[in-house]
Amino acid sequence: MSVDVGRRRTLAGLAAGAAAASPLGRAALAFVPGPQPGPKSAPSRPVVAIGRREGLSTPNGVIDPKRLEAALGAAVARAAGEPTAVAAMRRLFRPTDVVGIKVNCLGGRGVSTRPEVALQLAAFLQAAGLPAERIYVWDRSDRELRAVGYSLNAGAGVRVFGTNEAYDERLVDWGPSASRFDRVLAHDLTALVSCAVLKDHGLAGASLSLKNWYGAVHNPNKLHDDNCTPYVPHLVAFPLIRDKLRLSVVDGSLAQCHGGPGRAPHWAWPFGGFLASTDPVAADAVGRQVLEERRKEVGLPPLAAEGREPGHIAGAARLGLGVADLARIERVEV
Amino acid sequence: MSGREPISGARSGRRAFVGRLAVSGAGCAFAGARALDAEPLQDPFAAGSPLRVEEGGLNPSPARWFKALADGWVECGVCPRACRISEDERGTCGTRENRKGRLYTLVHSRPCSLAIDPVEKKPFFHLLPGTTALSLATAGCNLACKCCQNWEIAQARPEQVPSMTLTPADVAMLAKKKGAPLVACTYTEPVVFSEYVLDIAVAGKAVGVRTVMISNGYIQEQPLADLCREIAAYKVDLKGFDEAFFKQHTGGELKHVLETLRRLRRHGTWTEIVALVIPTQNDSEAEARALSRFVRDEVGPETPLHFTRFHPSYRLQNLPSTPIATLERCRNVAMAEGLRFVYLGNVPGHPGESTYCPGCGKVLIRRFGMAVAENRMKDGACPDCRRRIPGVWA
Repeated sequence: MSVDVGRRRTLAGLAAGAAAASPLGRAALAFVPGPQPGPKSAPSRPVVAIGRREGLSTPNGVIDPKRLEAALGAAVARAAGEPTAVAAMRRLFRPTDVVGIKVNCLGGRGVSTRPEVALQLAAFLQAAGLPAERIYVWDRSDRELRAVGYSLNAGAGVRVFGTNEAYDERLVDWGPSASRFDRVLAHDLTALVSCAVLKDHGLAGASLSLKNWYGAVHNPNKLHDDNCTPYVPHLVAFPLIRDKLRLSVVDGSLAQCHGGPGRAPHWAWPFGGFLASTDPVAADAVGRQVLEERRKEVGLPPLAAEGREPGHIAGAARLGLGVADLARIERVEV
Repeated sequence: MSGREPISGARSGRRAFVGRLAVSGAGCAFAGARALDAEPLQDPFAAGSPLRVEEGGLNPSPARWFKALADGWVECGVCPRACRISEDERGTCGTRENRKGRLYTLVHSRPCSLAIDPVEKKPFFHLLPGTTALSLATAGCNLACKCCQNWEIAQARPEQVPSMTLTPADVAMLAKKKGAPLVACTYTEPVVFSEYVLDIAVAGKAVGVRTVMISNGYIQEQPLADLCREIAAYKVDLKGFDEAFFKQHTGGELKHVLETLRRLRRHGTWTEIVALVIPTQNDSEAEARALSRFVRDEVGPETPLHFTRFHPSYRLQNLPSTPIATLERCRNVAMAEGLRFVYLGNVPGHPGESTYCPGCGKVLIRRFGMAVAENRMKDGACPDCRRRIPGVWA
């Protein structure tokens, strides 16, 4: 499958890639100033940008590509403190990176990362100079990807594939458990994007960008005790993930505030946008806040009152993976 | 693997497979489907096959013990975890999946490991000594013991290990053909494939083959009751006798295993207990004493108790093997507390491997490793003093 990013953007991407690949370009990149702080920004406050657009998807679930590009692009751009999504990608990734966009397709249609969203991120990356062949969109299995509407691609262009039990032979002890990691993650990828779903989880409370990484190990079934709290933070803190993770995106084109992780249509609602942050913990803290707001609107109790406090978010903050305190996060609508 | 290829090896058919089994020697046949040069006994993809093995080697078969919940969730009823599982998800064991509000086991008739073992390897010391057991396992386990010996298959989901197709009737027939009076459900955790165990036990009875479980004892009351009606014996791996240690080491709760032991006594199922002694972790004299008192008072003083030597494995590679003196101390404590049959395991040649008559003190069954060197038992009793020895002897 190829991603048609359009002639103009392709040329821009080529130019950017060429610039970045040249010694001069690399030198220039090294001196790119950091993002200008917004009026409310402080250097210590991570940004979680929320890009929403009216009519992002039709009632029957068809996503409007222009609104998708606008909403997702605005969120990604603001998350990285850049004027455009392409500039954000250029800032976060090098043209030599092999970038893995980890999607979450476990729940099937209606409660999984939309293919259009993952491919739009891939398009931003390409426009920023990454060759399509070095962009992987992946999840646990071909079967789950296909069920959600992804077209698998092992050839030219953006690769789309499932792990399909191709886990690394080495067993890695990462603290609360031991796992085999996805072989591509262990050996090929140099940078990661978590592209999860804005949804409730019956055991973890919420399944957002952090818990998405359960799909990168061979034994997620062993990692659900105690609301997943000890497991999620330590898994994400493992260097194979922590050292490569650059961007966390949460797909809320259609969100679900209860009854997850499987599909429960009566608890789904069109949030109509995306969360993006370079801080995965902040992304999840705000994602949880959005879920709680919706739960209140529809008369559901807070997650904690149901014994489903998503403690893994605070746990991840305690491990230094990011900020969970909403008072220290800039939640900004773009 | 594509959906319609044989699981392993070429399709030379059931007869050839059974033939190869028949020529392989007892005790060294094979273990681990990965190493097997074996084909499915039944082609699961053939027209008319009762099995419908899916891509990835799964064989979804209705689970016997579960409750349907609201919103399409189910609660598994096979082990005390009572996993609440949403649609398309699985429980902790990784082998039981919610499909449209119904629970399915994915491993029925899909063993990943198969071997002929001496019954002493299980270990059962009071169950048909000197005989063999057709031993099998499917993938998966409901605990996550840090010292797991078979983690490659026990701590994996079924699609992650090669498996073969073997119906309960096939299992019983194979055991019969191999001259094994027992089928042992072992290696991983048979609780997670309880439906398969139950069906094997029923099929085995029809041809005179008995079925036994080698288990962590982490099972709910109803499946245990159903199994105890059909199986001949149950060996429980008691992985510690301290609740905090048990939780930290296995991810489970000790109280449920103790309850299983009490229930086994009530069911009258022949039971033996193994206690793996891990240096610095669960090797104190106080723990051995507490464990021994529990067995004496709540399971019975004639219940065989095996203190087994730990060797580094899985996530406990940093510890040494258990000193033999530690095992001997545990055995002495247990015998001082009134247990009559206390053994050492994984210490070949040690006198603690043999069975002694509690009446006259003479050796009844002399063992070396997994072999029976001498069996002086006569009609379930000591030939010298006629003291009855509990067990299944014929």
